[in-house]
Amino acid sequence: MAELALEVDHVSKTFRLHHEKANSLKQLVAGKGRNRFDDFVALKDVSFDVKEGEVFGVIGHNGSGKSTLLKCMAGILQPNSGSVRVHKRMSALLELGAGFHPELSGRDNVYLNAAILGMSRRDIAARFDDIVEFSGLQSFIDSPVKTYSSGMYVRLAFAVAINVDPRLLIIDEILAVGDVTFQQRCLEKFVEFRNEGRTIVLVTHAMNTVKDMCDRAIWLNHGVVTGEGDPAELVEQYTEQMLGGMSRGDDGSIRRGSGEAQVTRVELFVNGNPTPVKRFRTGDSVRIRLHYSSAVGVPRPVIGVEIDLLGGSTVSAPCTRDVGLIPDRLSSSGYADIQLDDVSLLPGTYDLHTSITDFNRSHVYDHLQVALRFDVMSGRPYESGGIVTFRPKWTIG
Amino acid sequence: MSLRSAAASRNLLYLLSMKELRTRYKKSVLGWAWSLLNPLTQMAIFSVIFLYVFKATPPIGDPSGLKNFPVYFLSGALPFNFFSISVGVAIGSVQGGAGLIKKVQFPHEHLVFSVIVAQFVTLLIELGVLTAVLLVAGNMVLPWLPGLLLVLGLLALFTTGIALALSAANVFYHDVNYLWGILSQILFYATPIIYNPATIEVRALRWVANYGPTGSFITAIHNIVYDLRMPGLGRVVQLSVMSFATFFIGAWVFNRLSPRFAEEM
Repeated sequence: MAELALEVDHVSKTFRLHHEKANSLKQLVAGKGRNRFDDFVALKDVSFDVKEGEVFGVIGHNGSGKSTLLKCMAGILQPNSGSVRVHKRMSALLELGAGFHPELSGRDNVYLNAAILGMSRRDIAARFDDIVEFSGLQSFIDSPVKTYSSGMYVRLAFAVAINVDPRLLIIDEILAVGDVTFQQRCLEKFVEFRNEGRTIVLVTHAMNTVKDMCDRAIWLNHGVVTGEGDPAELVEQYTEQMLGGMSRGDDGSIRRGSGEAQVTRVELFVNGNPTPVKRFRTGDSVRIRLHYSSAVGVPRPVIGVEIDLLGGSTVSAPCTRDVGLIPDRLSSSGYADIQLDDVSLLPGTYDLHTSITDFNRSHVYDHLQVALRFDVMSGRPYESGGIVTFRPKWTIG
Repeated sequence: MSLRSAAASRNLLYLLSMKELRTRYKKSVLGWAWSLLNPLTQMAIFSVIFLYVFKATPPIGDPSGLKNFPVYFLSGALPFNFFSISVGVAIGSVQGGAGLIKKVQFPHEHLVFSVIVAQFVTLLIELGVLTAVLLVAGNMVLPWLPGLLLVLGLLALFTTGIALALSAANVFYHDVNYLWGILSQILFYATPIIYNPATIEVRALRWVANYGPTGSFITAIHNIVYDLRMPGLGRVVQLSVMSFATFFIGAWVFNRLSPRFAEEM
């Protein structure tokens, strides 16, 4: 079993929200020593472990307690109960360049900032050249940082932070700094860190980063851990919830939307066969039938589907508006058919999502995530890799 | 604390102190001369008032026989200013360190220590000038300097204790900052800097000047550099006990309060 890098054990954190905080002795005395306050629970019994070498993501909406959790992990805030145990040399990047002094030169600030992050003089001296090279500020290093542009400032700060040589790196939403070239270098540095088996805890709103980089993640919602595990799944759940109220079907489908019209059932027919199926072969003729019901008969609806590779990219997302099929009003119940001849999908598992929206596609009446999950088996044409076939005609001259 | 973090901690203190020293007189033409101009101006003002307005007699050094008010004033004012400025700057330093305290975990006490170190370095430079003045005035002070350093060491310890306690308290109640402005003024006049305690007739006042916390320090320093004799054993014991006690109480208060800094700021 892998060694633990960080243990968060039943951590709770409560803040006092003072209505009128007595910040001076006079107020304290005048108020007879009483302060009116409410308790605000920022973290409630949060527990998780981060294993050595893992890239661990923390997601959650604004005010979900992410920052508080981060500060507890970094040792800046003390939890009211529970404990955080850090087993590796940690560096927490909550803000770049905290402690930079504008009047001091870049060189002096590198030394000072690295010392604040816990480096000894010898360590800094050994890494100084790396830091300057990474920042790309060789010719400015002896100028005071007040003459730096904000981009230069951040680059220098990041270069210091990344060179502290942590075994455990805690990062808060700082990947989005500097220009594209610098961002690319930061990303490379993170990948390098990951490949070297260092542990990274990432707190971010960039869902793609979480999906791409993290091995595991937790989802924090109002200070409570709502989910833990596979980042792709968590991100999906999180995104669903962020987009609107959702409900979960027995079959794993997730529904959201205002509900005036709903897709009630999705069926798949193959080669004119009247029995619905959940699998077919490449090259089959497929008919997708969306059964709907609409209590109020929504005007000018757009019905769409989206076919995704399992847990991944979208293969195709057609809708009725694309082909100019716009009924004035949806009847109280019925179905929409999509006929696909000679299907180009190659073997794999695919998810089908459905939606009914208004004409502008801005108001969602109904969105059914994973309305149907189906398998494609190998048929004709056969290809050894990929998602779709372009029906290639090979010649060798 | 592991060796590695101890080295890192020492390094941080060193660099923060250097920052204090380097950034203090940036963008000023006279630079470090300012740290001397202030006490010299004070000296001139009080000398005029003492010698020409009040027509008082300067204290006579025993056994040195020195009779020079400006020298008497400087040898008291420089250490006292170190004390009062250090505490004031330390209070501001912790308050001004909010950006850092809220974003990085580091030993908060270094914000205070670095101020004391920087101010102490300043004091030593000023005392170098004072030594020259004393020698010119005819006081052979050189053999007494080790004793002086010992007392100054205790003063630094005492100052650190007060600075730790007050800077921590100030995070919670900013009044401490303003209160210190008033308190240090009271202490200035309760300390024998611009007067000779032997001439005070009210016993209680004479006692405060002689044995009050700052009064006792300055009296000891006067003994050493103005009178050219060692302070009494009783006074040395008093200063030692008071300094260590103040330091440990201040450190205790600071350690108790500092985990809550980030939240309060």
